[in-house]
Amino acid sequence: MTAEVQRYSLDQIEALELVPGSEHEKLEGWVPDVANEAELRDVLEKAFSYRGDVTITLKNGERVEAYVFNRHTGATLAESWVQYFAPNVPGKCKVSYTEIARLEFTGKDRAAGKHWEDWVKAYNERKAAGEKNIGLEPEALE
Amino acid sequence: MAVPVSQMWTVATYVLKKRFAGEKRYPLVLMLEPLFRCNLACAGCGKVQYPPHVLKRMLTPEECFKAVEECGAPMVSIPGGEPLLHSKIVEIVNGLVARKKYVYLCTNALELKRRLPEFTPSKYLTFSVHLDGQREHHDFSVCREGGYDLAVEGIKEAVKRGFRVTTNATFFDGTDPNSVRAFFDDVMDMGVEGIVLSPGYSYEKAPDQNRFLGRARVRRLFRAILSNRKKTWKFNMSPLFLEFLMGDRKYECTPWGSPAYNIFGWQRPCYLLQDGYAETFKELMETTRWEEYGVASGNPKCANCMVSCGYEPTAVMDGFGSLRGFWAMIRGTFSTYRDEHAMRLLNEPAPRGPAPLVQIEEPAPALEESNV
Repeated sequence: MTAEVQRYSLDQIEALELVPGSEHEKLEGWVPDVANEAELRDVLEKAFSYRGDVTITLKNGERVEAYVFNRHTGATLAESWVQYFAPNVPGKCKVSYTEIARLEFTGKDRAAGKHWEDWVKAYNERKAAGEKNIGLEPEALE
Repeated sequence: MAVPVSQMWTVATYVLKKRFAGEKRYPLVLMLEPLFRCNLACAGCGKVQYPPHVLKRMLTPEECFKAVEECGAPMVSIPGGEPLLHSKIVEIVNGLVARKKYVYLCTNALELKRRLPEFTPSKYLTFSVHLDGQREHHDFSVCREGGYDLAVEGIKEAVKRGFRVTTNATFFDGTDPNSVRAFFDDVMDMGVEGIVLSPGYSYEKAPDQNRFLGRARVRRLFRAILSNRKKTWKFNMSPLFLEFLMGDRKYECTPWGSPAYNIFGWQRPCYLLQDGYAETFKELMETTRWEEYGVASGNPKCANCMVSCGYEPTAVMDGFGSLRGFWAMIRGTFSTYRDEHAMRLLNEPAPRGPAPLVQIEEPAPALEESNV
């Protein structure tokens, strides 16, 4: 059970006015040391919740660019795996924890760097400049 | 009553059959996400932040139909992403309607008016249009000026063409209950069948982490909004769920009530949380550790959730699961929930979020008269 759970009782939860937001972990560009099983498990858990591509180096030397969307953690590394999508590969791919030598957070973190306050500031500035049809655009897919 | 009798009958008989069969866990609404790509970039949304190669992926119609058949739920909600960006959305909708599923196509309606001629009106098809409030509030919420006007054009055209239409609003901190009540008047005037609403979920990946409502504030906000109702307002939701939002009922989450299927698979444990994926619906139901979710579990990710996808199934199963629940549902459908305290809440100064919505003029506080 996490520290977050222990911080509130059910009564406190019911009385809460505002939900404390999540702290965004800055992982983009991180190249973690994976020296043992516990570190590998921890890094793959972070890759699972990362909203960007990672680069997986397999023990056979192959490097795979991957968006990790699922993981299964078994009692041993052999029973544990991640599932991912790779650019230009149509279906889902799967790799065992035992085959993974190294992992790098190489892709852009798509959940980072956008804040409500930024939108409010940009809106005010653009409005003051006389701009019309102000809005945020989704990022281009190419 | 906003939900047609045929739909209520389908859901009621489905729930009763499941109860008589002794099934403890069964789905009510499949949340079918055929793609994550969207044409908006809302600050409150934690659904669509993925690399481009993921956003380009879409479920095929065949994958959608297989998921619907595996799941067996009588209702299918199609959120996303923006479903109208899917190249085969018409084929998907037609296939679901042919299977006699009650389909709620959730759309921001930026493309609705243009795409409407491709769809056929049916009692099984409802366009559930995302509108978060009056023009300024909606546009600011979805970070797009002009979004409200486009959505309203789509709604009016859909109503004119004989489609079932509901509006779907998500509320965050800073919501002004008087403005929401005026918004209800506006949308009912547009001719929609009913209103759908929910407090926002505190998505970990949402850009804005400062405006998620806690349970106490949710109850106060929804008591102010939903008490002293006008008879013209119709809600396309269980009245018992609305009572839960107002603080009149205590419910636990039913995460398997609205299972989600998308390009990654069957999402554990629910539409909002991403704790992994199962390959099949059976695997989802049998291998998810359900006891680790919901407020009673102590899971912090569930602690403040009061969102419809988890709690409305609880309310529906309560309503159709016993005579007492059914009677409460009937009473709730026709009640105006007169409440003097809630009326006083409407007279409090309009709330402000962490960043003021500077383009909106402060409304003068005034007691609202309802036509109860």
